[in-house]
Amino acid sequence: MMHLLRKELRELMNKQMLLGLLGTMVLIIMLGVIMTNTMSESLESSGELHVIDYDDTEFTRSVISALEEDGYEVEVSKLVEKDNSVLMEEKDWKEAVLIRQGFTQQILEQGTAGEVSSLTVLQSTTSMDVMMSGSTSTDAFTAKVKEMLMAEKLGENMEFLADPVEVIPWTYANYNQAQVDSFALVNSLSLFDRLMPLILFMLIVLTAQTIITAVAAEKTDKTLETLLASPIPRGHVIGAKMLAALIVAVIYALSYGVGFLVTMLMTVSGTGEGMDLGQAMTDIAKLNQAVETLELQIPVWGWMLVILELLLTIGIALMASIILGALVQDAKSSQNASLPILVCAMLPYILSMISDIRQMEGITQILMYAIPFTHTFIATSCLRFHDMGLLCIGLIYQAVFLALMTAAALKLYRSDILFIGMPKRKAGKEKAN
Amino acid sequence: MNIALDVQHLSKAYGKKQAVNDVSFQIMEGEIFGLMGMNGAGKTTILRMLATLLHPDSGDALIAGHSVKEHPELVRANICYLPDEAGAYRSMTGRQYLEFIAGLYFKEYDEQKACVQLGEEICGLGDALNRKISTYSRGMTRKLVLARTVMPKPRLAILDEPTSGLDVLNSLDIRKTIRRCAKEYGTAFLLSSHHMQEVQNTADRCAIMKDGVFLAEGTPQELLAKYNAATLEEVFERAVNGV
Repeated sequence: MMHLLRKELRELMNKQMLLGLLGTMVLIIMLGVIMTNTMSESLESSGELHVIDYDDTEFTRSVISALEEDGYEVEVSKLVEKDNSVLMEEKDWKEAVLIRQGFTQQILEQGTAGEVSSLTVLQSTTSMDVMMSGSTSTDAFTAKVKEMLMAEKLGENMEFLADPVEVIPWTYANYNQAQVDSFALVNSLSLFDRLMPLILFMLIVLTAQTIITAVAAEKTDKTLETLLASPIPRGHVIGAKMLAALIVAVIYALSYGVGFLVTMLMTVSGTGEGMDLGQAMTDIAKLNQAVETLELQIPVWGWMLVILELLLTIGIALMASIILGALVQDAKSSQNASLPILVCAMLPYILSMISDIRQMEGITQILMYAIPFTHTFIATSCLRFHDMGLLCIGLIYQAVFLALMTAAALKLYRSDILFIGMPKRKAGKEKAN
Repeated sequence: MNIALDVQHLSKAYGKKQAVNDVSFQIMEGEIFGLMGMNGAGKTTILRMLATLLHPDSGDALIAGHSVKEHPELVRANICYLPDEAGAYRSMTGRQYLEFIAGLYFKEYDEQKACVQLGEEICGLGDALNRKISTYSRGMTRKLVLARTVMPKPRLAILDEPTSGLDVLNSLDIRKTIRRCAKEYGTAFLLSSHHMQEVQNTADRCAIMKDGVFLAEGTPQELLAKYNAATLEEVFERAVNGV
């Protein structure tokens, strides 16, 4: 029994498996580090409140003081004449609560809900990003007002005390402003923005695995030798493999796209039962108007660029797979050969779900930008927030990367490495009978 | 008779190991040349260099007058290569596979059709050609891949261990096919083998290799006479051991 167990373990725990484990571990650690940084940044900023106090009364000042006593770090501006979008950019605020003039009078004298504006600077369409930074100041301010009024006027008008603040949401983006809730806006935008990364990730992984397995099988069956010794140019051999995989990838993409779209529409229509259709249509029209006002819509040429980046990404994944498949020595190791591609696709995919890669800093951002797939994952974000420089750099980088990979693949298929392995492993490895 | 293959001082090393060392020989049209040697003697390396899959370190080989170093694409138009234990696309039927290979060598439909017809005749698989290759026995697959190697009527067919792992009857069929194609189509054959008897019965001339060099070369009769032996196995033993 032990004899057999030792043999089975030797079979399973090979170099490829250990490399795979190492790669997965690095991936998890990297994700952990980046997520921890994102969370701690959010936690740090959740202790900071930003208040634009146009009312500037004893009551509003007492609310702010109470918040400071609660441990919040409150930054206050009273510059009525300044454009709020400019003010928020200058102060690097992502969100703020604006106390309108007459707020105190409405609450304390008229007994009506006081008006405040919840201001949000939209920098990405990542739901989690918006959720974390969305309306911290407004929520804290509203809660404190309610608490103070409850303490002072308990039993007077419970209906008013339950909801003493009327919040009017304002969203800023691309130096424009619209009276719309940022979270609702992001949700309306992100049907495609959420769908595309998922489809892209699945395409990269699937095509990589398909090509690597196909090339490795051709190599072990020696049909590759037959092909390469035939009068067909070697570029055609590689080109045909790539094109076939691309066609299959497009079929997969269309199938996934239709499948996910139908599922999402079914979910939306399912949850919409009992809703006021007229109201829903008005809300959609309002959101569409806000998208236009904030210049968040992607023009036709923008979609063409996204498709171009998508094709470049699949091309890079295919070329990398052709190279990795050619370096595979046997069918077993082909299972792990796709790991580098998997890691390079998974990192930007997961990070683009939880955070805005464009807002990252330092080495993390450089590493992410070095992965050519990242630029496709952030393409729609670049277009919505007019980051054309980054979009163009990403496109050029991907095109250069693909050209280099193609040259490397052609060189590999014309070299001895395909049949005798990498130079350092030549000696003693070749069947030289 | 014209020269089909002219190997001139061919050498190839893998790191510090000299796999092929200054080897020269010629094969005429319609001639069958057998390469004999133990594992690691350098046979497959020579065949792969002639098939333009590996680059020679020095020396050259001319196939139908074209250099493997200078014009590999012209060389590939004049050769067909059958690797050791080569498989075929298992999802295809035998006929589809022959059609696919014919498409690699000929552009015109009529030429492709004639090529496939020849392949069907050579392999002798009959109705089994309509079945998926995944259902074939080892012998059937070998007959199919041999047929695809010779059906384009190349100037030089390069066969690495063509009967490896086959039973006696299948091996005999393969040898007969090789002899027939050499005679009828003038195809020159370069085949490597561990089986001395096979080479003795099939090849017009042969060479014995050890450590990348030719120890002996000639017709089987010349070698038997030179080493005063009854079989090529005895010749091989005496040549390798330096007796």
